[in-house]
Amino acid sequence: MTSVENPSEVLVETVTTVNGRVVTASVPARLHVADFLRQHLGLTGTHLGCEQGACGMCTVIVDGEAVKSCLMLACQLDGRNVQTVESLAEGDELNALQQAFKEEHALQCGFCSPGFLMTATALAHQGRRPGRDEIREEIAGVLCRCTGYDNVVTAIERWFAENPQGASEDPLPAVTDPTATQG
Amino acid sequence: MTTLEDPATEADGRTAGDRRNRVIGTSQLRKEDDRLLRGDGRFTDDVDPARVLYMAVARCPYPHARIVRVDASAAAALDGVEHVLTPADIRRDTEPLTVLRPVPGAPQLPYYALAQDVATHEGQPVVSVVASSRHVAEDALELLDITYEPLPHVVDVLAALEPDAPVLHPSVLDSNLLAANSDGSGDPDARFAEADVVVEGRFRINRVTALPMETRGVVAEWRPGARELTVHCSSQVPHLIRKQLAETLRLHESDVRAVASDVGGGFGLKLGVFPEDVLACLHAIALRRPVKWSEDRAEHFRSSTHARESVHDYRIAADSTGRILAMTNVYATDIGGWNSPFGSAQLSSVVFNGPYKISDGYTERRVTLTNKTPVGAYRGYGQPEVNFAYERLMDQLARRLDLDPVELRARNMVTPRDMPWKNPVGAVYDSGDYERCLRMAADAVDWAGHRAAGRTPRADGRLVGIGFASFVERTGYASSRFLAKRGSVFGAHESVTLRANRSGGIDVYTGVSTMGQSSETAFAQVVADVFGTDYDAVRVHAGDTGASPLNTGAFASRTMIAAAGALRSAAEQLAAKTRRIAAWQLEAPVDEVEVAGSVVRVRTDHSRALPLAAVYTTAITGQGMPPEEEPGLEATAHFEPSDAAYSFGTAAAQVAVDPLTGEFDIERFVLVHDGGTVVNPTIVEGQVRGGLAQGFGAALTEELRYDPETGQLVNGSMVDYFVPTAADLPRVELLHTAVPSPVTPFGVRGVGEAGTIPPGAAVANAVCDALADHGVELSALPITPEAIWSALAGRSSGGGDPELTPTAKDLPDGGVEY
Ligand code: FES
Ligand code: FES
Repeated sequence: MTSVENPSEVLVETVTTVNGRVVTASVPARLHVADFLRQHLGLTGTHLGCEQGACGMCTVIVDGEAVKSCLMLACQLDGRNVQTVESLAEGDELNALQQAFKEEHALQCGFCSPGFLMTATALAHQGRRPGRDEIREEIAGVLCRCTGYDNVVTAIERWFAENPQGASEDPLPAVTDPTATQG
Repeated sequence: MTTLEDPATEADGRTAGDRRNRVIGTSQLRKEDDRLLRGDGRFTDDVDPARVLYMAVARCPYPHARIVRVDASAAAALDGVEHVLTPADIRRDTEPLTVLRPVPGAPQLPYYALAQDVATHEGQPVVSVVASSRHVAEDALELLDITYEPLPHVVDVLAALEPDAPVLHPSVLDSNLLAANSDGSGDPDARFAEADVVVEGRFRINRVTALPMETRGVVAEWRPGARELTVHCSSQVPHLIRKQLAETLRLHESDVRAVASDVGGGFGLKLGVFPEDVLACLHAIALRRPVKWSEDRAEHFRSSTHARESVHDYRIAADSTGRILAMTNVYATDIGGWNSPFGSAQLSSVVFNGPYKISDGYTERRVTLTNKTPVGAYRGYGQPEVNFAYERLMDQLARRLDLDPVELRARNMVTPRDMPWKNPVGAVYDSGDYERCLRMAADAVDWAGHRAAGRTPRADGRLVGIGFASFVERTGYASSRFLAKRGSVFGAHESVTLRANRSGGIDVYTGVSTMGQSSETAFAQVVADVFGTDYDAVRVHAGDTGASPLNTGAFASRTMIAAAGALRSAAEQLAAKTRRIAAWQLEAPVDEVEVAGSVVRVRTDHSRALPLAAVYTTAITGQGMPPEEEPGLEATAHFEPSDAAYSFGTAAAQVAVDPLTGEFDIERFVLVHDGGTVVNPTIVEGQVRGGLAQGFGAALTEELRYDPETGQLVNGSMVDYFVPTAADLPRVELLHTAVPSPVTPFGVRGVGEAGTIPPGAAVANAVCDALADHGVELSALPITPEAIWSALAGRSSGGGDPELTPTAKDLPDGGVEY
């Protein structure tokens, strides 16, 4: 683990579940969730584009809801369940949503993709099955500078259409490893 | 003129019988996607070496200020701070930053990684600090004691040219005119004198920014014993970064390795070395520890390059039938406080006449310094600017002559019979049927029906208008010889290395980084296609100068144009040797042997075959080779296209405008586009749609605004700078033609920038068509409801500005750069 070396940092004990694993960590009080995931847990799929809640690159799921992880402090994760893009693929296989992105050419540089994938996954967690226009509204919190969005909307629409059950009842990842991991 | 709708036609000169494994022209799934969709991409900020330290940069808060005193002692004393660099250190240890694309005739400005005596824009680096965490480094910035003496500033491009404007670089120049150049042919002044109609106007193009979602970043690591500086960076041009860093840091090029694995968008912004790259390297060299800097978005808005801002005085002369006699463009383009890594856009001069056949014309450019962030390359690089101006004037000319604007355009377009056709500044349009695209666009939006219907308001009072914008897009570069004459420090060629491996695969090494343009996929398609092997057997390794042959990089829509030729030639060399080895082993004539998927076989007897893996192993071990062959199976090839290619097309927009408020909706947007032979239809469409989204942003919502009083950027954050979201963009209908270019391999034309060019003009023309009875003419971007409302109220700005008087005849440097 990388840790913040400045001895004057105020540290807070935090226990959280990340992608099904329990994580116990001592985090600086001012550390935001995105930096915690990236720097402390090595989950670099969560990206940073603005650190002010405007671009959506850092979107992860906390207790079933899409959250901009640059706007939340790591210590606020205590007792919560976090899901990041790294949880989506099933072993070596992309999951159906990722596969839809691939087949619809819904990414170019791919920097924004984790944000869109987690936003769409959160919609499914909430039992939502939005139509095309609604998808446009729902994903408007995530920016993309490459694709012009059309293919992103198409991929998400297709995923909802092809996985009506799976998508709407997709549970949060269960806690698979009860062994506490030092973060 | 051949027009080909079928991309699989013999544009590359091979016969259909050769084609065993055609993947060019098909939509293969992208090689890039799996890692990116799993969050397993390797962007610069994901690189995290052991013992890494973090850099933060103090920036000038004023648009123009003398740096009187720098006291970094308190910052250096903070717990966790490891190193501080001040302006004096930089002066001692580095050379000034170099420019990849200097403006001809412009002096080299003494641009150092940290401001020396005077900073010329808000955000210019002044001091940098390295500490144990980014938090601590930023804390240390607060402890710096820097005394500034604010100087008078100028942020308006025209005001900067006035005699009383504060001069930015008085040691080098006595005005803010960095350089000027002009070119043209014929006798435009005579044509204007004899014209029946002259339309003219001043067009203002907004300052915008490319805004890739991944900001810039750098991770520098120095191994003193090995004299090896490894620099991970978010760059479109790793080999050029290596060259520039070596020069600036006084190292040998072989001491530097630049790596840009995954790049989260570039769009022209990530070209060349920026101050922070140099700073991170210097810290790393001093500390002998890895140093990382990740640009935050506030820094990005003030220190990465901006784009586009220019003011164009355009004129068109025509006879009473609508035949254009002459066209001129005299313009001032804002370059900000310094020459940027890629210099100021020159394509505004190269394609100033658009798709129109004009023999008498000239263009004159004034590259102007202002106290703002430097302007650099951005997708389209000069072309959206002029398209807005000449396409707005085409509509004004049509109205003046009471002609159908579609007919007026058609009447003046360069035709297939004219090709190749040289424009007034010497650019050669290679091929294409421009009028066909225009007609297709007009049909798609039922232009005839709209004309017949007249301008009756809808029930809700809204007026409907349709507007067109036709364009050409210069893609790739003319020859390296030509670039050399214009002072560019890069070539027009691309280079690749192909290497067979014992598993039966082919590794492709390219210096072109992966920034969304799908080059890994397209490169593998070309290699698989030419070689005859499976697409899945080809693996592309991108963006590492330590592995790839020395090449140029990814910009100007040139990747596919230039790289395709190198890939083809390298793949042919590799295939030829593979076949010679197999022929010897199979005891068959070489002509009879072909590569087919994972085997090499005798064409007429498929039972006589060898696995490719076995043939490659033979070559790599040298065991079992034909006596006259050298061992090894590797090929490096270079390719330079003979000339630039020109993509082209027409956009049509239908809008509904409220004539009371100026609010409007884009109800339809059709783009008919020709990018030549299509290598992968899905990728081409993706590139065009992406370009359009950026084009709509620049046309409708994006504008970097500076307060003239304070010289401050007032909307330098993602919250205040409005990039379109998924909910904001109109639905776009795409139509294609596919005329192969005769000057490029496979007939491809670049497609990366087309979408950025026509949205502004098409939407503005549509709004002006709807509001024609109100006499509204738009001449500035972005097109906002407020701007339309002001025009309706007769409150258009623009009066009182100084004239850009043409001085074409006395400029020493005749000729524009390409
Ligand atoms: S980084 Fe969190 S919203 Fe932009
Ligand atoms: S694919 Fe590049 S930002 Fe979306």
